[in-house]
Amino acid sequence: MKRRTFLRCAALAGAAPFLRAAEPRKLRTALIGSGWWGKNILKEAMASGRCSTVALADVDANVLEVAADQVNDLSGEKPKLYRDYRELLAKEKPDIVIIATPDHWHALNTIEALRAGAHVFVEKPTGHTVNESRAMLRAARESGRVVQVGLHRRIGPHHVSGMEFLKSGAVGDVGMVRLFAHSPGSGPETPTPNEPVPDGMDWDFWCGPAPLRPFSKKLHPGGWRNTLDFANGTLGDWGVHWLDQVLWWSGEQYPKTIFCSGGRPVLGPPVLNEKEQTSDAPDHQVATYQFEKFTCVWEHRRFAGNDSEKHKIGSYYYGSKGVLHIGWRDGWTFYPSTKGGKIEHQDSQLQEPDGHNIQILWADFLAAIDARKAPVASIELAHRASVLPLLGMISWRTGRSIRWDAASEQILGDPEANALLSRPYRAPWQYPAI
Amino acid sequence: MPSSTAHPPLALALTLLISSLTTARASDWPHFRGPTRNGISDEKAWRSTWTGDIPVAWKAQVGLGFSSIVVSDGRAATAGHADGKDSVFCFEAATGKLLWQHSYPAQLGDVYFEGGTTGTPTFDGDHLYWLSRWGDLLCFDAASGKRLWETQIATETGAPVPMWGFTGAPLVQGNLLVLNVGDAGTAVDKTTGTVLWKSEPKDAGYSTPIPLPPPLGDSGGGLVAFANTKGYLAVRTTTGAEAWRVRWITEYGVNAADPVLSGDDLFLSTGYGKGGALLHLTASGPQEVWKTKKLRTQMNAAVLHQGHLYGVDGDTTQKASLKCLDLATGEQKWEHPGFGSGGLIIADGKLLAMSGIGELLIAPASPEGFTPTARTQVFGPKAWTAPVLSNGLLYCRNNRGELVVLNLQ
Repeated sequence: MKRRTFLRCAALAGAAPFLRAAEPRKLRTALIGSGWWGKNILKEAMASGRCSTVALADVDANVLEVAADQVNDLSGEKPKLYRDYRELLAKEKPDIVIIATPDHWHALNTIEALRAGAHVFVEKPTGHTVNESRAMLRAARESGRVVQVGLHRRIGPHHVSGMEFLKSGAVGDVGMVRLFAHSPGSGPETPTPNEPVPDGMDWDFWCGPAPLRPFSKKLHPGGWRNTLDFANGTLGDWGVHWLDQVLWWSGEQYPKTIFCSGGRPVLGPPVLNEKEQTSDAPDHQVATYQFEKFTCVWEHRRFAGNDSEKHKIGSYYYGSKGVLHIGWRDGWTFYPSTKGGKIEHQDSQLQEPDGHNIQILWADFLAAIDARKAPVASIELAHRASVLPLLGMISWRTGRSIRWDAASEQILGDPEANALLSRPYRAPWQYPAI
Repeated sequence: MPSSTAHPPLALALTLLISSLTTARASDWPHFRGPTRNGISDEKAWRSTWTGDIPVAWKAQVGLGFSSIVVSDGRAATAGHADGKDSVFCFEAATGKLLWQHSYPAQLGDVYFEGGTTGTPTFDGDHLYWLSRWGDLLCFDAASGKRLWETQIATETGAPVPMWGFTGAPLVQGNLLVLNVGDAGTAVDKTTGTVLWKSEPKDAGYSTPIPLPPPLGDSGGGLVAFANTKGYLAVRTTTGAEAWRVRWITEYGVNAADPVLSGDDLFLSTGYGKGGALLHLTASGPQEVWKTKKLRTQMNAAVLHQGHLYGVDGDTTQKASLKCLDLATGEQKWEHPGFGSGGLIIADGKLLAMSGIGELLIAPASPEGFTPTARTQVFGPKAWTAPVLSNGLLYCRNNRGELVVLNLQ
């Protein structure tokens, strides 16, 4: 940990010339999934001064054109453009591949990129289903390449200091953790009319291994998170960050049992027909993760946004000495139990406008490539973190508590739930081998 | 004089004649961005310094949306969305008395924002034209609200409805109504709605067409300039023939801000980090003079006053700033942070700026700095619509459809 911190700081300060001397050539970097978030990561690659953007892939020619224009504007480079990521990998043989496609594409993109010899920066959660994540982990181990997952809260300054505070014992014995992400909204959700596929968009390819459905502007660009064919709603999106923090803090690797309930009482039943569609992710969920030494509760809702609660997003660690909130833009705050005790607080230090810490996560990624060591958000730990929301979704779908055996990565005594560790792929795409 | 059109005194006389014709209605704001389509009003009979609250002349609820207000011949019109319907409203400008209203079924269109109407109607004499997000094109009798004709322009031309719908206001040029519909615009006969010319069925941009004055408008009946999703272009008004096109790529195809004209220079600027550029228009097409990242106008175009651009830099997802740039060099003169995604106009040399959270700020338009002489909270956010000044009344609206008319006299 200390060595890693040193390397990271040294690289940031530009005081590691020996590392650069070892690899003077710029790292040939490619992006798969060239929308808003992918470009956020790519911009950090460009800003690092150590990467050249050789190629971009996207199934939407419009997205690709915008990304190419921005890369050219920022760096003067003219990356090659591909609709098919497989063609990009085969022809360009990049050193680094950034993957920022919707969740349902992460596994196939990552495994193919690793097989092509690239180091991979892939967005969270690792897989859309548990066995995809396992296959990604296996491919990473076999390749010997560095895989960094976009869990930037593993390195964000107020998370690091919040964890230090927590581990120092200042919060006392923590017996319960509550994780949450609340956003304003109301209902019911009005269905959006399906539309013709826009010019330049390969919609069949976008759906890929997921079921093909009519095109909707609510899904692309960027609106797919609450449609379960492509992602896992708020639990998959936000939950993975905060559940990962719990693993980081506790040192425990998995929960023993998981129970999740929720639904769409506010947004209403999902709609999908030849004329129109809505999202289908739950508008609220509560999930209980029972660990060896503590219980962790996740909750989210996408309605009733107001000022009734001080913190809208983040984690509460309930200890014998008080409550620690680690949040997003609101940094971390410790509320002591003792009357008159001192409230302690640290501000967040985020990159705006999107409130992340990709810059230092990218620096860590490069340092890991240089040193051939595990990055701070390695696929090993990101796999364990990503499994948690995915198991929550399985419990929610089956409507019952599930018991997780981390050694075999199986749900105990529940074949129906176990079947949901994978899902059928639409031909010709094949579910990756574990 | 034989060669009359080129003769300076006669040209001057014509200018004066045009001026005197327009002064009769100089205090009207009949179309988007005002009488000269650049966010500027010459109106002087209003007060720019206030200490307390500014009196409210009248208020109305017009529904969800960002449509601006147009004022002509004692009438004020705008649009909004409620309960599955778009509505066009026409009020008595001085009192707020509802003269007429027309509603029709329409989608909410809440794609990455709360939805509602985004375009602005256009007054032309006794008529009011309206192009909806979804392509409903209507001509009303301004006095009675009677529908004189209507058509569905997307269906009629085969043009796709872009991601956030048709947003550019109709532009009246002679007998034509020029629309930002299709790859390079569409024109209809303003008396019948009959399509006179159209362009490739590709996504339109979100800007309102503006006429380019002679000589830029050349001898072939004038040019109009506007954006599609991939560039800014100019077409011949009478035929739709393309004169030039500048590639201008913005995230999600959001080329929304109108071009800002200065002599034979054109300032383009869009948001999502894209920035702006000053183009010099030549016979062979535009040439870049300078580029900047200091002014990225996501929605409302900047306003040019005495060689300086005043505009909003940044997106709705950021804390956008109000800024002043030197048009000659692109150099930033000042920045007022935290303004948000609002809009502004300039009247009698003063900025009338509505902040993103609904605070009205009045200040001299000066490169020296931003020093408000009045500030008042008109309503709550979001206020993405620039205020409109006409006959001493300032028309303000927010996304929730609160139309608040302040009396600045």
